[in-house]
Amino acid sequence: MIKLEEVTKKYILDRETEFAALKNISLQIKSGELCAITGPSGSGKSTLMHIIGLLDQPSSGRVLIDGIDVAKLNDNELSRIRSEFVGFVFQQFNLINKLTVLENILLPTIYKRKDLGYSPHDKALYLTERFGLKGKENSFPNKISGGQQQRVAIARSLIMNPKLILADEPTGNLDTKTGNEILRLLEELNGDEKLTVVIVTHEVDVAARTKRIIKIVDGCLV
Amino acid sequence: MSCMKDLYFLFVIKTALYDFSRNKGRTFLTSLGILIGVMAVVLLMALGLGLKKYIQDQFDSLGANLVMVMPGDKQALMQGGGIGGIQFDERDVTKLRRIKTISSITGVYAKPGSKIQANGKTEAAEIVAASEEIVPVMNLEVEYGRLFEKKDSQKGQKIILISTTMAEKLFDTSENVLGKKVDLNEQSFKIIGLLKPKSSGLGSNGVDNHVYIPFKASYSINPDKKFYGIYLKTENKEVNAETKTEIENVLLKRYDKDDFSVLEQKEIMDTVSSIFNIINSVLVAIAAISLIVGGIGIMNIMYVSVTERIKEIGIRRALGARKSDILYQFITESVLLSLLGGFLGLSFSFLIVFGIQKLFPAYIDLMSVALALGVSSGIGIIFGVFPAKKAADLSPIDAIRYE
Repeated sequence: MIKLEEVTKKYILDRETEFAALKNISLQIKSGELCAITGPSGSGKSTLMHIIGLLDQPSSGRVLIDGIDVAKLNDNELSRIRSEFVGFVFQQFNLINKLTVLENILLPTIYKRKDLGYSPHDKALYLTERFGLKGKENSFPNKISGGQQQRVAIARSLIMNPKLILADEPTGNLDTKTGNEILRLLEELNGDEKLTVVIVTHEVDVAARTKRIIKIVDGCLV
Repeated sequence: MSCMKDLYFLFVIKTALYDFSRNKGRTFLTSLGILIGVMAVVLLMALGLGLKKYIQDQFDSLGANLVMVMPGDKQALMQGGGIGGIQFDERDVTKLRRIKTISSITGVYAKPGSKIQANGKTEAAEIVAASEEIVPVMNLEVEYGRLFEKKDSQKGQKIILISTTMAEKLFDTSENVLGKKVDLNEQSFKIIGLLKPKSSGLGSNGVDNHVYIPFKASYSINPDKKFYGIYLKTENKEVNAETKTEIENVLLKRYDKDDFSVLEQKEIMDTVSSIFNIINSVLVAIAAISLIVGGIGIMNIMYVSVTERIKEIGIRRALGARKSDILYQFITESVLLSLLGGFLGLSFSFLIVFGIQKLFPAYIDLMSVALALGVSSGIGIIFGVFPAKKAADLSPIDAIRYE
């Protein structure tokens, strides 16, 4: 499903110094996998996730999504893949505080390009119920707990029926108990709905719960 | 699909309104620029329209088939130059009367800037001395009393027609005024008729400060017995070119081409209108500068808004928003902001126009409303496009990482 070929990402710090966040990374993530990208902070794992999620482009190498070289896509096409293929879950939840829980979940659907074949509103209500957010539909994100906010974010990532969930330190801002609940949710999505789930984490015990660990140190796979 | 579009628009509007309500002071101050600009433009247009309509009414009250034959070159007359050169006399009137299409004609002596006194009060008036044919020529109608008749012209009695407006100024009432005396340049005249008012508003500057006396009665103030001009009315509702040529041909037998002018109401009206339009356009153009300043204010605040919401832009991009979606969102916000100012400016203009309407003939037409709302939307788009472009061009990764 996702294939990286010799991906390198360099940042130019000033005229003379370059910093390589990723060095010659080649890897493949298959459909239905539950895997973790792990490594110490500054190792390049977030950069790797951003490249997989098409938020960032590599300096060299190829990224293939279902066999399509994303370097050949324009901004509109990249946006379309982000909309239909990927669902993001962030450490900071990244909800929009001026929209209600229900509106946040529905937000990706206002940017859709094609008919979804289902009612976004019904699906959003189903997701709130499934994730224990019933009664909070019209609350604003800053009025609910961190665990609830992350569940809203997961519901939002699912509203477009993506094939891939990319979670960047999803438990980083939560206590252990709530973090465990969120991880269980992600495991369920992988198990029950056969979604491909990639979790970026620096926590060893979080990574241990996945079926495959991709370890990265100083921009290289180890 | 259309339902989705509605939802999309609803989200955009809701986001914008949320930001406005969170920054009420800022929103108000930003739209204040547009408010003032729109108000200045709309009010000036309203005053211009009102004044134009007032002048139009004045001319219309005299009838479009009124022709004035004046001494002097037309160009000079139109530009407000002096009247001079030749003097018409009764012979010219008699000759012109032979033209079949002329229905009434009279020689006229007019003295603007005269004083009329009665009841211990003094008012400015324009004395018009003429034969009884002035009645059809100037479309005079009485409210009380009677108009001039043929015998009045022959006798030269000291009688006078004033408007009810003038009567109210002098006697505080227009009733029981008939038969009373007024002083015109220290001569006493008896009121025989009160004329229906021809205009409202603008105080004493209109046709209603004209006072009419028989030509013979004017000899004491017009010792040379001269005509100021010859006024005539044609049978047709509008003056046709042949009648005008006939009048010119009659006069050319006696005078040179440059010595006299044949002025139609329409011509005078057109000249006045065109001068007026130019003055009004210049004023509106100056007022429009404040709209540009208001637009710059909107642009400035939109840049601030984009900077404040970089993270939000990043989130939206990660969720699949295209550059064009972000562009559209910010332009919509700036248009809403500008329209808010335009709408408020228009509302205040309506209030002000409503307030001054009794003193000054101003009115707002549909065109002004459309222009105000159109221009403020336009300003929202023009001045919103650069900040919106800045927002749309942010790289998704830089935006979402922004703290």
